[in-house]
Amino acid sequence: MNVIIAGAGSVGRYMAGQLQDSGHSVTLIDNDPKVVAQGQATRTPVGVTWCLGDACEVATLKSVGTAQADVVAAVTGDDEDNLVVSLLSKQEFAVPRVLARVNNPKNEWMFNDMWGVDVSVSTPHLLTGLVEEAVTVGSFVRLLSLEGGKARLAEVTLAEGSPAIAKELTDLGLPRESTVVAVLRDGHVVVPRGDTVLHQGDEVLVLVSGGVEDDVRRALVG
Amino acid sequence: MALLRRKQRDDQPIASIELPECTPICDTEPRQWVRVSGKVVRMTARPTSGQPALAISLSDETGIVTAVWTGRREIGGVTLGRKIAIEGVAVKHGDHLEFTNPGYTLLPK
Amino acid sequence: MHVIVVGCGRVGSEVALNLAAAEHDVVVIDRRIESFRRLGDDFKGTTMVGVGFDRDVLTEAGITPDCAVAAVTSGDNSNILIARVARETFGVDHVVARIYDPRRASIYERLGIATVASVAWTSARVLRHLLASESTPDWIDPSAKFTIVERRVPAAAAGTSVANIEASAKGRVVVLARFGEATIPQPGTLLQEDDVLHIVIPADHAAQLEAALHHKEGSH
Repeated sequence: MNVIIAGAGSVGRYMAGQLQDSGHSVTLIDNDPKVVAQGQATRTPVGVTWCLGDACEVATLKSVGTAQADVVAAVTGDDEDNLVVSLLSKQEFAVPRVLARVNNPKNEWMFNDMWGVDVSVSTPHLLTGLVEEAVTVGSFVRLLSLEGGKARLAEVTLAEGSPAIAKELTDLGLPRESTVVAVLRDGHVVVPRGDTVLHQGDEVLVLVSGGVEDDVRRALVG
Repeated sequence: MALLRRKQRDDQPIASIELPECTPICDTEPRQWVRVSGKVVRMTARPTSGQPALAISLSDETGIVTAVWTGRREIGGVTLGRKIAIEGVAVKHGDHLEFTNPGYTLLPK
Repeated sequence: MHVIVVGCGRVGSEVALNLAAAEHDVVVIDRRIESFRRLGDDFKGTTMVGVGFDRDVLTEAGITPDCAVAAVTSGDNSNILIARVARETFGVDHVVARIYDPRRASIYERLGIATVASVAWTSARVLRHLLASESTPDWIDPSAKFTIVERRVPAAAAGTSVANIEASAKGRVVVLARFGEATIPQPGTLLQEDDVLHIVIPADHAAQLEAALHHKEGSH
């Protein structure tokens, strides 16, 4: 896939490296000449194409081939820039998948199709979620917001007393608008099937659409 | 369109708004800048994420495209049955192309 | 009229002072409190420190669909965010955004946001776009017989031909700007909502021009 990443901070460079390693073709755009010069000189991340420019300008996006890109990730440290890059990518270049980083959770409400954002990632939110996931057992932790907030990936570690323990997935009474995506058990991933039986301590990853969170919480937490 | 094409006269300005050269809808491709014209055959309000949006379907004899203008409930002159031209870069939306916030030109009735 | 000005730089402060002097109810928002010094000690409006596209800040600034919002910070991106939030979240009709990049200005114009380009802008132009009732002339000829007026086309005039407007106002459209691009129109060109007309008219025909712009298509 052709991926364009706007913002070569630690998040952008990390993503670029990971994606390039996986065999995708990655371009990193940044407005800071020092960052780009260093990236080009040290050739890190390996294989990535660098572009010095303002990703909020149509000319810059055009020059890096956004018209053929499969994914644009707007991951600068500035929410305004991320929204504008997303809007231009969607509206001017019809990029199929636009991902944008939310720096200030107060702005999260704008990161949806109004600005061309398909997936928003809230760094503070995600970090908090990951911390919560690590320390919290028995509560419903939201990890990631998809489709402009219409769908959420959440995680519940089944505590003692959870109504889901010793039950098969089909018997949990989970609403139709939710899907158990994976069950993490003893360091490995269990692909969930209707007859998968849940144990105490299982980390259940579930995709939920907005309206049914409470039902899912009741089924897994109690 | 022929109605509005005039013979160049000496007193005509050199630079003028050119009438749209349009591509038949059946020949259009997604993700390329294109201009199409036709009749508005459907108009709906399509609110998303809590904000208003106006969606239309445009038909020329060869096919249909849709266009969505975000954050608006109406656009002056854009009504059912009206001939308009729209231009921009469209995405593939199911079996047709969809434009988001395209430029538009009202065509004579 | 209640007007919210976001950005208290050179032009923002000028716009705010002019509006307050004209007895409008003005609120100025800026991220930095030092910016308000440009307003001087006699400023009759209110100031607020805050981010102009924050919904809570705008609500506190008294935003309603009937007010006007000028997004005139030094950043294009901030201005477009402010303009869209004002228009689409709060339903404000009279919104003007200052945009430096003409390429992006044309994209924002397609969103229905009135933009004022940095090259040609003054507080007078911002005011002209913000308060549709203002039609200060671009130019008055030395004999004071003719004026060139800049007007934004209202939705009511969409579909009217340039020829019709010219006939009603007894003038000629010099330039028509649509989606940020300026052109010289044909008589048969149909006007659209948010087009910017530069029209030369007899100095005493301002009222006829207004009437023509508010006359619904098909009633000629």
